[in-house]
Amino acid sequence: MRATQTRTSSGPPVNTTTTSVGGIARQLKNLDLRQVGLPLVVVAMIVGFAFRSDVFMTTTNFQNVGLQAAALACVAFGQTFVLLTAGIDLSVGSTVALVSVVSAMGMRDHGVLVGLLFGLVAGLAVGVVNSLVITRLRVAPFIATLAMLSIAAGLALNMSGGTPVVGLPSEFTSLAYRRILGVPLPVIIALLVLVTAYGVLRVTRLGRYIYATGGNAEAARLSGINVRATTVSAYMVCSLLATFGGFILTARVASGQPTLGGDLALQSVAAVVLGGVSLFGGRGTVLGVAVGVIFVSILTNGLNLLNVSSYTQLMVIGAAMILAIAWDQYLSRKWRTRGDPG
Amino acid sequence: MSGVLAAHNITKAFPGVVALDDVSLELEAGEVHALIGENGAGKSTLISILSGATRPDAGQLFVRGQPVTIDSPATAKRYGITTIFQELSIQPWLDVTANVVLGNEPHLPGARQLLSASNAEAVARAALDRLGAHEISTGTPASRLSTGQKQLVEIARALTLGAPVIIMDEPTSSLPMRDTDRLLEIVAQLRDEGTTIVYISHRLDEVKKIADRVTVLRGGRNVATRPVGSTTTGQMIEQMTGRQVDNLYPPRSESVGEVVLRVEGLTRRNVFEDVSFEVRAGEILGVAGLIGAGRTEVMRAIYGADPLDAGRVELDGKPLSIRSPRDAISAGIAYLPEDRKDQGLVLLLSSRENMVMSTLDRFSPGGLLRGRRIRSVTTEVGRTLGVRGSLDRAVANLSGGNQQKVVIAKGLISNARVLIFDEPTRGVDVGAKYEVYTLIQELAAGGAAIILVSSELPEIMNVAHRVVVMSAGRIHAEYDHPDFSESRILSAAFAAFASTESAGVT
Repeated sequence: MRATQTRTSSGPPVNTTTTSVGGIARQLKNLDLRQVGLPLVVVAMIVGFAFRSDVFMTTTNFQNVGLQAAALACVAFGQTFVLLTAGIDLSVGSTVALVSVVSAMGMRDHGVLVGLLFGLVAGLAVGVVNSLVITRLRVAPFIATLAMLSIAAGLALNMSGGTPVVGLPSEFTSLAYRRILGVPLPVIIALLVLVTAYGVLRVTRLGRYIYATGGNAEAARLSGINVRATTVSAYMVCSLLATFGGFILTARVASGQPTLGGDLALQSVAAVVLGGVSLFGGRGTVLGVAVGVIFVSILTNGLNLLNVSSYTQLMVIGAAMILAIAWDQYLSRKWRTRGDPG
Repeated sequence: MSGVLAAHNITKAFPGVVALDDVSLELEAGEVHALIGENGAGKSTLISILSGATRPDAGQLFVRGQPVTIDSPATAKRYGITTIFQELSIQPWLDVTANVVLGNEPHLPGARQLLSASNAEAVARAALDRLGAHEISTGTPASRLSTGQKQLVEIARALTLGAPVIIMDEPTSSLPMRDTDRLLEIVAQLRDEGTTIVYISHRLDEVKKIADRVTVLRGGRNVATRPVGSTTTGQMIEQMTGRQVDNLYPPRSESVGEVVLRVEGLTRRNVFEDVSFEVRAGEILGVAGLIGAGRTEVMRAIYGADPLDAGRVELDGKPLSIRSPRDAISAGIAYLPEDRKDQGLVLLLSSRENMVMSTLDRFSPGGLLRGRRIRSVTTEVGRTLGVRGSLDRAVANLSGGNQQKVVIAKGLISNARVLIFDEPTRGVDVGAKYEVYTLIQELAAGGAAIILVSSELPEIMNVAHRVVVMSAGRIHAEYDHPDFSESRILSAAFAAFASTESAGVT
């Protein structure tokens, strides 16, 4: 066996982001199976659930799915930034819990705007600590954010005394159920985040630096890119978007919950990886992640409608992750032999 | 069919490309058989078929005249075929003994799971001694060995298997000169003891020196197999490239001007010491020396990639303070690293994205990328450099020579006045080398000051105007173009290791 299996061998001929109109035609021509596989599965799943459940194909249900998906989407888009730099943020779930408790307490005592501000500060503080521990103390992201998961969760439980913070202003809690042209507000927020994240990754300098840092940090550094600052930005974006997710969930449950978002670390990484982002960094798009989020959300919703217990759902999501990554590995092996004929 | 190992009419296609087209090869017992060809000629595919890593679409393998199927590396090992890949398969955290016996561990009698430490040690020691590697102690963690020593450990592993056929994939490409000579001696020794060696190399001088026969592959076909004695380097190059090659090197540029870069007393403790030199506009300064002499380290320090303990860097007579590659780039210094894949390029990104990587600031006022400008600039530079292949696809898909052009493009786009080329032709095809040299000469003719770090002496002697020779972290000699000679440069390169008397070249 050769020693290097993954990154340095000539990778799959990814059709990378070029910012021109003609790019779309080229992308279509070079479409690779990874990009069509998951959407096909999603369509198949929708058809399957539609046959098995009467309520599945109703507007109400789709609004419901959207509502459920919105928070996960925000968190997963943030997670994408981090994974693209070849990092990982396991603390997103506790960030959501912390944001929920802090913003709820702020709102209860000082009104909506102050509460949101408190939540924002708390969420970004998590990002600052993550970034510093990773870039200055050089602790591996997996460990740094695993530790932060514990710290933020403990903080949220301490501040709330382990019980929900109630008494939130209704002008905030009602936002979760407000609709614009039939679309729930949280879904609109998630869509705005999607568009922005897509734009940042595709047409900004920061986005390009993130891909370069994750693709080959040493080459990026020798190109004069500030790899440390880029890494910091990615963790800050991740925490910011986790904060948005925290707001959405807090509004939905109309209280500050210290246990909110417990599944989000797993689900966000699942959605991101299912969406085709490489765990080794440098490859993948936020559009793919959006499909990953839809997949996870519809799967959960459909299984709920079919009365599959949430315990079993955990098993199904885990299995789906393994299948998706195995498929991805299989495809990249095929590409690799093809790309390496000499 | 008297050969130890033979391949008959091997064909192997990958989607979109026929890697091997009806290739046959016969290996005799006790010969060194060189396999040469440009990148993409099919060498890697052929050895991966011989070593069981890939299966052919058509064709038959024979071991000692018997038809065989080699469907995995384990099968190949059973038939006595061992392959030493370029990326060595050393386990860095295991000691030398464990690496030598890896996959073939001696065990206690009657208990396959219980390893016998003393037997393993004895086996490893014996194999290393047979190679004359007495200085490698069996208890050393493999991570502490030099590249050359790691290679000896791999060869020792092949010896413990009693492999009659050893395939070596570019064994000298990252070896210092001294280790190269030692490796060539060992290859000759193994041959004399009856081992068959398949020797893949880009270095034709080595092939001439060591091989008995040579097979040239081009475009997936076997162009010729002949005794080395009856062919010349020129003929080999012609067969590899398929065209007449008159000159291996373009003429030197002629317009040498003012001093652009001057460094004085550069020191990094335990790495290099008191390094001073200057480069003029239009001049190509060769930096020769053994691997490990500190050449790359000096260049990286000038570029701000590694810290300096002491010394001054001046550009146009003005002192520079460079603390990061970013500072160097904005001062007009570009460094083109020796390892394209690990340091020069982000392989997953497109050629265009790589080309503007170090100058994105210029292409993104306000943080937004200007796609159209990037497109037009990279298209133009790509055309100037003659990059073959789509600029929009991942740079991983390009050949070595074209990847090198993308790295050069990065330097061009940054408008650098000082370009530091570190081993610019490593892994680059013979034909494409000429193009790279031409580009370097053109850059010099355009007024750039160029530093060329290279381990290939012919390259230094035929491209540079002036050469400085480093040995053990110091500059030991400097020669101007007409005074170059291989022996002078070599003796200066070894100066730090030789007696004080022969080191007196300044």
